[in-house]
Amino acid sequence: MKYIRKDLGSYNLHIIKTKKFKSVVVQVALRTPIIKEEITMRNVLSDMLLLSSEKYPTKREIALKSQDLYASSIMVEDLRLGNYINTNFYLSTLNDKYTEEGNLEEGIIFLSELINHPRVVDNHFYEEDLEIIKRQATASLERIKENPANYSLIRLFENMDKDSPLSYRPMGYIEDLEKINTSNLYIYYKNMMKINMMDILVIGDVKEEEIENMITENFQSNTYKKARKPYRLEEKKLRSKKMIVKEKEDLTQAKLSIGCRLYDLTEEERNYALTLYSIILGTGGDSKLFKNIREKHSVAYYINATPNKLDNVLTIRAGITKENLKKVVKLIEAELQAMKKGDFTEEDLNKAKELFNTSLDELEESPSRIMNAYYMMELLGIDDIKTRREKMNKVLKEDIVSVAKKIKIDTVYCLEGE
Amino acid sequence: MEKLELVGLDATLYKETFENGFSIYMIPLKDKKNYTLTYATRYGSDIIEFDTKDGKRKKVPTGIAHFLEHKMFEQEDGKDPFTFFGESGTDANAATDHTYTKYICNGTKNFKENFRFLLQYVNSPYFTEENVEKEKGIIEEELNMYLDIPEFVLENKIRENLYQKHPRRIDVGGTVEDIKKITKEDLYDCYNTFYQPNNMFALLVGNFNVEEALQIAKEEISSRQNIVNKRPTGRNYHEPIEVTKKEETLTMNISAPKVLFAIKFLRKKFPIRDKHIQNLYLQLITSVLFGSSSLFREEARKEGLMSGMYYSWEEVEETINLIFQVETKKPVEFLNALKSTLSNIKIDESDLERYKKVWIANEVRLFDYTDAITDNIFGDIISYMEPVTNRISLIRKMNKHDLEKTIAQFKVEHITELIALPKEE
Repeated sequence: MKYIRKDLGSYNLHIIKTKKFKSVVVQVALRTPIIKEEITMRNVLSDMLLLSSEKYPTKREIALKSQDLYASSIMVEDLRLGNYINTNFYLSTLNDKYTEEGNLEEGIIFLSELINHPRVVDNHFYEEDLEIIKRQATASLERIKENPANYSLIRLFENMDKDSPLSYRPMGYIEDLEKINTSNLYIYYKNMMKINMMDILVIGDVKEEEIENMITENFQSNTYKKARKPYRLEEKKLRSKKMIVKEKEDLTQAKLSIGCRLYDLTEEERNYALTLYSIILGTGGDSKLFKNIREKHSVAYYINATPNKLDNVLTIRAGITKENLKKVVKLIEAELQAMKKGDFTEEDLNKAKELFNTSLDELEESPSRIMNAYYMMELLGIDDIKTRREKMNKVLKEDIVSVAKKIKIDTVYCLEGE
Repeated sequence: MEKLELVGLDATLYKETFENGFSIYMIPLKDKKNYTLTYATRYGSDIIEFDTKDGKRKKVPTGIAHFLEHKMFEQEDGKDPFTFFGESGTDANAATDHTYTKYICNGTKNFKENFRFLLQYVNSPYFTEENVEKEKGIIEEELNMYLDIPEFVLENKIRENLYQKHPRRIDVGGTVEDIKKITKEDLYDCYNTFYQPNNMFALLVGNFNVEEALQIAKEEISSRQNIVNKRPTGRNYHEPIEVTKKEETLTMNISAPKVLFAIKFLRKKFPIRDKHIQNLYLQLITSVLFGSSSLFREEARKEGLMSGMYYSWEEVEETINLIFQVETKKPVEFLNALKSTLSNIKIDESDLERYKKVWIANEVRLFDYTDAITDNIFGDIISYMEPVTNRISLIRKMNKHDLEKTIAQFKVEHITELIALPKEE
């Protein structure tokens, strides 16, 4: 695997050369500081760009073109990274070796067509297109409670800190959707293309020069941009006592979400010991939460802990019987306390390291995950994969305990049946 | 050992069947770092009535195959499989479906130890009254979790209306009421009947050595005995072609109406005897009619007929069934459009050729992912008894003539419709 980073002035091109895969994946990433009222607009725009373009005026024609390019797939996702909103467009296609000469180039032209040449008239998107997208967006916004486990997490964050980007709903808001029209959407699009920071990544068995030519011919941008804001959310003052919030829905099972604050972590702790801490506490069937709360007390089927380094939080989630809420929270608190006291073995630590190592090995088997790792290196300046392996293996038990002492429950949220 | 080329994919499948009927399938991939190991039995939630070794007919509570899967992780010596695999950073998991139960591990290290342990722990059941009782709380929470997902509840509901006799009518996990009745004796009866070598197989994909793998399988499995010589099966329900209920409307906790629609066919009515080839044509029909590039989707988008559509084919005894699920604000209009498309199928040569190209490309692309290859081959072994090694050539040979013959038999007669409406606030 060979990594080449090219500064093309207004954006960076990252080429990851590897013979490992039969496909080539191209990612175009655009990001800007997040504004709550713009999230819905951003989502609508992403869907709009994949619905139609100048050359392919309907979604069906876009689908036909993808199929014609040997089942190339085009995807888009909007996600929040700390203080930023990030939109990724992906093209995944088979290498020319397995298709025909020129297939990759045509794929890149196709991706560029969708991003750079939307279907517009007189500085407006088409009303009929916007109607389709709005209809779908309305349906998915209204459906939010149909995934109660996820809704519980959303409500947890809203309760934890309603003003922070942490609480912003990734799917957006109905009231913002209503304000979108064909003209303000186009203004937002033009603005995005102008002021958003952009990175383009390509992974596969490709030739460096050819790729550079294909990309520069199809993606031109002429403004130089720099990150204006840090990616990581700033640390908030700690609550002196944990907050408990219960809300009612028509549910069989209560969905518990606990939000913990991370505070005063060093960069090294955040990138290394924290990962191992959360594996020991709540990742998989060998974790403390799984063993003690599910297996020993039979009070949950799923229970896990996930850290979010950029948001300074760690979340613990479980599906429980509502009458057991107090008991489960107590058991979880006991596990957090045990971690602080160093009540885990060297063997637990080694297993966590092994799991991390395996996940890095597996990362290297997936083109999109490798690409994502390089993108995160670019954005956050984190270590490369090799360094990560080395540093992770050096983490000591006392480092985990130190992290454990910098984690505090902020809010216990429970969405329960009536 | 048999050696079979996977046509068009630069890979080889090795197969060995032991005298006791157990088969091992191996696809070594040198340029991968990881491996996916699967040990499976052809036993799932569809079987709740069968003959035990002494020839007695036994009926067991629903959800027992899934319960058994949970309990396999219990070991007499207390060695927890999660802990064992965890020592080498290997991910362990298991899953139960209607027709199979599988135990999986995904890793990059300790291949030999992990493969041996996978076979060993599934080969050593340890059920006690106490550990069976303990599991009931966990499974009850699992079932409750699913009950809060409307799509899931509705999928079970349409199966209940589609099938008359077959246990496919019941959720894989069973009912809370039933799982509470499960005893350790029930579990041993199911285990002894369906976890015998002639009903099981292993599938290994990724980075490992074929000879080493075979040696381990021989040591762990070749001396195991079948309790009965015939491959065990469950009761045949002779599921009839008629549906249980043609239509139903209900209300539930959802934001917009959802519609489910299912069609039941008899396999023997379709012209092609080879199951896999016939299935390819049936899938082609639904892909052209309802896939991403279909006219149906384009029209439905414009008319606001639906937001999101899923469909799938499933086989139950001699019937083959197509199930749709959509969310729609216009249930009646949607159903009319769907039925009209299904009863007037037109597919051009160009559609056929386009999908052949798409499917072949997808087969090749799949080979970038160990888990995707595993899923694909596993599906073959379950559905067709053996992996399909020449799928790309089969797709290439698909033609207008056989497609037309299939379309001619695609009769939308035995249907069931289910409309779910939001509860009034």
